This record gives sequence, C-alpha cells and structure tokens, in this order.
Amino acid sequence: MRNSTNSVTTKNNIYLSIGVIILITLFCCSLFVGKYPLSLAKILQGDELQIKVFMTLRLSRAVVGLIGGFALGISGFIYQTIFRNPLAAPDIIGVSSGASAGAAFGILFFSGALSVTLCSFGGALVSVGLAILFSSLDKTDRKSTVILAGIAVHSLAQTFLMILKTMADPEKQLASIEYWIMGSLNGINSHIIAGNLILCAACLAVLFLLHRQSLLLSQDEAEARMLGVDVSKMRFIILIVSTLVVSSVVSLTGLISFVGLLAPHSARKLTGNNSAKTMFLGGIVGGIILLAADILARSVAQTELPVSIFTSLIGAPFLVLLIFRRRDKI
Amino acid sequence: MSLAEIRNITAGYDKENVLENVSFDINCGELVGVLGANGSGKSTLVKAVSNLLPHNGNVVVGEKTIENLKPYETAGIISYIPQHSGLNIDISVLDVVLMGFNSKLKILENPGREMLERAKATIELVGLKDKAESNYLTLSEGQKQLVILARALVSDGKLLVMDEPESALDFNVRYKIMSLVKKQIQGENRAGLLVLHDTTLALNNCDRLILLKDKKIVGIIDLHNDTIESAEEKLSLIYGEISLVKTAGKTGRESLIMICDSEGV
Repeated sequence: MRNSTNSVTTKNNIYLSIGVIILITLFCCSLFVGKYPLSLAKILQGDELQIKVFMTLRLSRAVVGLIGGFALGISGFIYQTIFRNPLAAPDIIGVSSGASAGAAFGILFFSGALSVTLCSFGGALVSVGLAILFSSLDKTDRKSTVILAGIAVHSLAQTFLMILKTMADPEKQLASIEYWIMGSLNGINSHIIAGNLILCAACLAVLFLLHRQSLLLSQDEAEARMLGVDVSKMRFIILIVSTLVVSSVVSLTGLISFVGLLAPHSARKLTGNNSAKTMFLGGIVGGIILLAADILARSVAQTELPVSIFTSLIGAPFLVLLIFRRRDKI
Repeated sequence: MSLAEIRNITAGYDKENVLENVSFDINCGELVGVLGANGSGKSTLVKAVSNLLPHNGNVVVGEKTIENLKPYETAGIISYIPQHSGLNIDISVLDVVLMGFNSKLKILENPGREMLERAKATIELVGLKDKAESNYLTLSEGQKQLVILARALVSDGKLLVMDEPESALDFNVRYKIMSLVKKQIQGENRAGLLVLHDTTLALNNCDRLILLKDKKIVGIIDLHNDTIESAEEKLSLIYGEISLVKTAGKTGRESLIMICDSEGV
C-alpha cells in the first residue's frame, strides 16, 4: 500500500513539474510574441524602446495571463466543490457576466480603473447572491439547481448589460464596453494591475488555506454540519473570497470563457482526486490555457482576436463531453 | 447512568408536527433502536436529537444542552451517520476518515501525524485496510457506509446517532456494522441511537427499542428484561398482527425473529 501511495504521489509530482515547465515556457513566449518584435539581446543592451515595451506592455500582459488563468482555474475548482456540481464555474453560474455588467456600469457612470474593478466586483457579488437565492427556492437537493439558477442570473446580467449599452455614448463608452466584454489581455498596463494582482494573490492564499473546509462543504449540508462545520458561514466566506478572485481577474481582462470549467477538470482527470495539490495543478492548467489562448489571439490573424474565441473553441466541446459523461452527477 | 436525556421533543416539517412531546433517556454503553412504520417520525427524531432540524424541547448529553451549542461543539458530542453520504467527489478513503477530526482542529489547521495514524487504524478496524488510498467513489455501498462509520468513530462523539445505516446494505455488512457499533460503545462513556428498518437486526443487537407511532412513543422494549410476550404485544402496536419466535442457529446462538401473522393488504 505504501508503494502505491508513493507511486501516486510521484506521478502527481511529475504532472505538477511538467505543468510548471509548460507554464514557464508559455510565459516566456508570451513576453516575446506580438506586433512589435522584441529581442532579448536588445533589451539586455539597454535599448530604451525595447525595455519600455517589455516593461509596460508585455510583462504585465504575461503576468495577468499567468495569474489570471491560475486564479480562474482555482475559483472553478472551488465553485465546483462547494456547489457540488461539476458544471459550476465562474462563467457558467453567471458570476463572470455579472462582473461584466458591473464593469459596464462602472465604464458608464464612473471613471478610472479602480471604479471599474469595484463595480465589476459588485456585479460578481450580486450574481453569486442571486444564484444562491434562486437555487435556495428549490427545496429539493437537486444538483442541477445552481446551474439553472446561474443561467437565469446570466440572462438577467445580459439584459442589464443591454440596457447599459443603449444608454452608452456610441463613440466612446460603447466601444470600451464591447471591447471589455470580448475579453482580452491587450491594453493591460503595469499601472493598473498591481492592486488587482495583490488582492487576487491574497485571496488565492486564503482559498488554499481553506481547502480542507471546501472539501467538507462538498457533502450534504447535514453531514458537513455534523462534522462541525458552520455551513452557511463557511460557504459564505469561501464564496466571497473566490468571487473576489474572479472579479479581480475579470475586471482586468474582460469576459474569459471556460477556463474555470476546463482547468480543474483536467487537473482532476490527471491526479484522480481533489487534494490541495490537484487544486494547485488546476491553477497551473488554467494559466497554461489562458497564456496559450492569448498567444494565439495575437498571432494567428492580422488583427488581435478576443482571447475567449480560443478558450471557447476548446471549452465548448469539452462542456458537451462532460454533460454526456457525467449526466448522473449534474 | 444516563448519558443523554431527550426531553419533550416536538418537531416536524412545514408547520405539521411529525413528533409530539417525545421523551426518553439513553444510558451509558446502551444501544437504543428506534422502530416504526414509514412516516412515523423515526428520521425526524434522530435529526432533532442531532439538532439538524428546528424543534421544541431539548437534548442533554453529559451536561451539555445540544440546542445551545455551535456546530463544532455538537460534532464533539454527537457522531452522526446518515442513511447515505452525499459525498460525490473523487477523494481517498483516508481523507474521508480524516474529515472526522474536523471538530478537533482549528479552521486552518490540518490533521497531524497522530490523527493520520488513528485514521489508518480505524480504517483497519472496519476491515478496509487495503482500501485506505482508494477513491471513495469506487467503493461498494457497503464499503462506503463502513468508511462513514470509521469517520464517525474517529470524531469521538459520546452519542453515535445513525439514521437507517443498514438500509442499502447486504446481509453481512449489516451485521458487521452492528457488531462494530456495539464494540465501540461498550465500556466507554458512549452510547448509540439507531433508526433501524430491519427488525431482526434491531431485536438481536439493541438493548432497548423505542417504538414510534402517531407522533409519539407507543412502547419501549427492554430486550434484556421484557418477556417475549410483552415485546410481541408492544411490537404489534406498530406492526399489527405479528409473532416473535426465539430460534437458534447451527452454533446454538439464539435469535429473535419477527413473523407477520396477517395476510397483508
């Protein structure tokens, strides 16, 4: 038994190491892919323009790709665990569209990156609250309820967004709202990301610390309660923290589909469990997906494409596959 | 010596009472079974005793009133085993059992080496030594229930509460679980309260049986002191025309068996 335990641990460590290597490779590629060609030699020689492009555009973009993907992977893992549904992910239960509607509200009525972030967080929080409220109306313990509630929340957020768009100034605000919704890592500059990334990293650390509690919440409420968990309080704390993670990313990148669904499932498929290591691997896979999608988004066509095109191209068939394979658990 | 006092429990769903003023005691080392027809309030009773359902009346275990406790305090006093666990994530058997230590850990604390060793020993005790690293979801229903029992055992609750733990299990596992539970509560400051579907299992393993009908207790059978006739009379209050027969197996071990005397409907 000890041997089998060790071999499982070794296997999972190998997956983690391979994941980290791919992630670092993609991160480095991300630094040097783009319209303006950068060369390491010139940067090292002290070429001012090269250094400026590297520091203000590329580095921040690659960092957001890495941390954003990681964060979406982790939040997907947490949502799936505490909502007890393999389909739960920030974009599927309506959190991301709530964040989008919030951000559009911020673009329309306030100015500055911070207010957009705050409004986006507010939108995400309202969406989670509504998803929980709608699903609590169904007294049965059906696992599909939260997904159906999420679809309702998503539609509501879209309606709100449409209203905001009709109110927007077509010259300036509408364009920024549309651009924001399409989701892109383009235009992220180093001045605005620090606050979001610090918030995101702090919340991710809390989620890792609360991993054991998340697993306790993955069972029936009565069972968790009889194991000593203050279910409502703990679920509330974990949801707020993971929603904070999602909105700190989405408010920078706009809507990014499917990373939160794909990444944790891929990690679980590899390790076969829900340990903290698997959660971490889910984050790594999330980072890999987002960095790869972003590299493709800026290299396959003349103009830059929205990053969600690529995440959705992999994510949508995966979702269908998941529904067919795990019909009993959804 | 009394371990738990259940006083005037009234509970139900949607303003309709399923139980009214139910009171009884549970003594140290005693296994108390709850019998009754479907809908007689057996599950409601154990849920109210575990404070999982809003109710009137109170439950005192040791010197603590369960209704006044926080969930982590309750978890250190009552170990609860549901009919079916709702766990449906890929998780190792060892990790499921380690969940039982939650009430002894701080929120951010992880189980230490000692807890790990105890969890392994308890997995061995329930006969699943080879499955400690297996995925819980790949186990049979019987094995899953044994894992949940192991988890309840490590949580060290004084009162072990089980809601029809045997309903989905085959013959051998039913007896295995009963024998494990009996061993655990003997000689310690512990007791068990079990809702049972299988009357034969209840008659041959419990110390006392609480009989529920029409929202209240219609009889209590003391299986060590009551005569067969008296037990038969009390059981017929909930099951109708029945007979109790004492019989012995090949090894000479005597068992009580309940036989239905009516044609049924």
